[in-house]
Amino acid sequence: MLKRDNQFVLQTETEAPGFRVELRGTTFRLVATGAWTITEATVLDQELQRLKVPIPPSPDFTGEMDISGIAEIDTAGAWLLQRTAGAWQRGGLKTRYAGATDSFRILIEEVHRRGQAEKPDIDTVTPFKHFLETTKTSMAGIWRDALALTSFLGEVSAASVRLVREPWRFRPISFIHHLDHAGLRALPIIFLICFLIGAVVMQQGVVQLAYFGAEPMAVNMVAILSLREVGILLTSIMVAGRSGSAFTAEIGSMKMREEIDAMRTLGIDPMDTLVLPRVAALVVALPLLTFMGDIAALAGGGAMAWVMLGLDPPIYIEKLQEIISFRHFMVGMIKAPFAAVVIALVGCLEGLRVEGSAESLGSHVTSAVVKAIFLVICIDGIFAMFLAGIGQ
Amino acid sequence: MIVEDGREVLIRVRGLAKSFGSHQIWESLDLDVYRGEILAIVGGSGQGKSVLMRVITGLVQPDDGIVTLFGDESHTLTAEARLAIEKRWGILFQDGALFSSLTVLQNVQVPMREHLDLPQSMMDDLAFLKLSMVGLPPEAAHKFPSELSGGMRKRAGLARALALDPEIVFLDEPTAGLDPIGATEFDHLIRKLQQTLGLTVYMVTHDLDTIFTVCDRVAVLADKKIVRTGSPAELQSKPDHPWIEEYFCGERARAASPAEERRVVG
Repeated sequence: MLKRDNQFVLQTETEAPGFRVELRGTTFRLVATGAWTITEATVLDQELQRLKVPIPPSPDFTGEMDISGIAEIDTAGAWLLQRTAGAWQRGGLKTRYAGATDSFRILIEEVHRRGQAEKPDIDTVTPFKHFLETTKTSMAGIWRDALALTSFLGEVSAASVRLVREPWRFRPISFIHHLDHAGLRALPIIFLICFLIGAVVMQQGVVQLAYFGAEPMAVNMVAILSLREVGILLTSIMVAGRSGSAFTAEIGSMKMREEIDAMRTLGIDPMDTLVLPRVAALVVALPLLTFMGDIAALAGGGAMAWVMLGLDPPIYIEKLQEIISFRHFMVGMIKAPFAAVVIALVGCLEGLRVEGSAESLGSHVTSAVVKAIFLVICIDGIFAMFLAGIGQ
Repeated sequence: MIVEDGREVLIRVRGLAKSFGSHQIWESLDLDVYRGEILAIVGGSGQGKSVLMRVITGLVQPDDGIVTLFGDESHTLTAEARLAIEKRWGILFQDGALFSSLTVLQNVQVPMREHLDLPQSMMDDLAFLKLSMVGLPPEAAHKFPSELSGGMRKRAGLARALALDPEIVFLDEPTAGLDPIGATEFDHLIRKLQQTLGLTVYMVTHDLDTIFTVCDRVAVLADKKIVRTGSPAELQSKPDHPWIEEYFCGERARAASPAEERRVVG
């Protein structure tokens, strides 16, 4: 803010702002006093709004903004003065300023000049139209995503075929690294989740089947369900949340910092170095994790059966051997590599689609997880129909 | 209020010490910022130029020393007093630090909305005024920060720093990342705003052109303290310190310095 007095004023309290309008001769004068600053602007604005523009009785009447009483002024104060002066001007009064210091004049002129610029409005959209627009873009987005994923699948397949012909392109260190991160380190959480879900399903099964007196059948239910659905689904969802998002974040942050462009210019194919090791690692890791998930779910069911039905573990295992055939196990396992490919592809593709900003990275990580889980469940559904069709 | 040599000292720093881990960046740092001046802080990398700005603005706590803001010692301030002081300064961070979820116009209005109770129409008009003052076209007002170029983001950040008509603005590397034309424009903008709004400007900079065109005074950070202060011309004619000599009398400085220009022309 500008002070009238550039010397030091020892009291820091400034006078409250105010103004009065008077008629002297043929001049309407607005005499302003005090501090016209942004902190006082609300009050000043209300008072000035209430002020009526004086109507000149004859054309030779003029207006004057006497600001010699203003001790401090800033942009907001100058804007308020300028607004009033403008209204008077439009009302037919030639208005000028009196009592401005040099620095006050510079500010007021600057505000006057800047205030001339027009202000564009925001395009407001009606909620209904907005709804239509977003629906349209998201539908188009689904189509675009499907195309992009298909084309990416093609690229990865082509790169894999090339890898078979030129095996030295394979990056073993990267592969092992991702096998460790996506596979081994996911083991405890997947084991825990599957164990708990197996136990919960067993508990609910026993409670519900008790109505028919068929509690022991709960073991059949848990065994079949774990192997065919629970193991693979839970594992895939956990891996999509854990590793799919990590793939997007890793590749996305490299994309953000132009590392991927740097790779390309150095003649390194990001497909070989970034995408294939991740896809391969997940294709190996997910079936193994699924196997562990199956075991954990069966163990969880067994623990609950021991508690609720009094089935000792040896008896439980014996029962499992009667119920389970290799076929049930394979129905679950066959889905794992497909789920792995989908999770890795979506994760890598979303990572490569990240643009310059951190927000973009965040939104792509979210969409990678959502899409991967959605597609995993779709694949599960397709397999269920297919396997039912061939009588498995 | 602190007065020295007939000038009001807005910010006084005495005996500041700070270390990060085992690395001590200052031992005992003294600095005064006078009302109405444009002060540049220069120094080699790792000397804590940006940290000093953060210590003064209260974002980083010093290990030792006293920072006096507008006459009050910083560590004795109550929460309300600190809030009142925060309304009296504006800070431009390196890349503008605009809130990405708000449009440029809303960004400029944030300080007004938080600290004051102004009618919306007035906030709009004032924000447009500020945007125009920093040289942004009105069309930029409804854009989001991600849609702006680096130079425009800096201008928008400056408009937000100026939203409440502060007495002092802190600029962190205002011309870094701008092309020479944009940087020159920004220099002139700072000078013009300083004159129009009666600002005090504290800037951290590397840019010799900025120092020679707009700065009244330069403070040099080296050897864990402010080794010298003075006008750019003084520092150039009497460096008295190897770093200052290298900085102000090096090849780049000779190209930027107005004295040199005159000699070549004459």
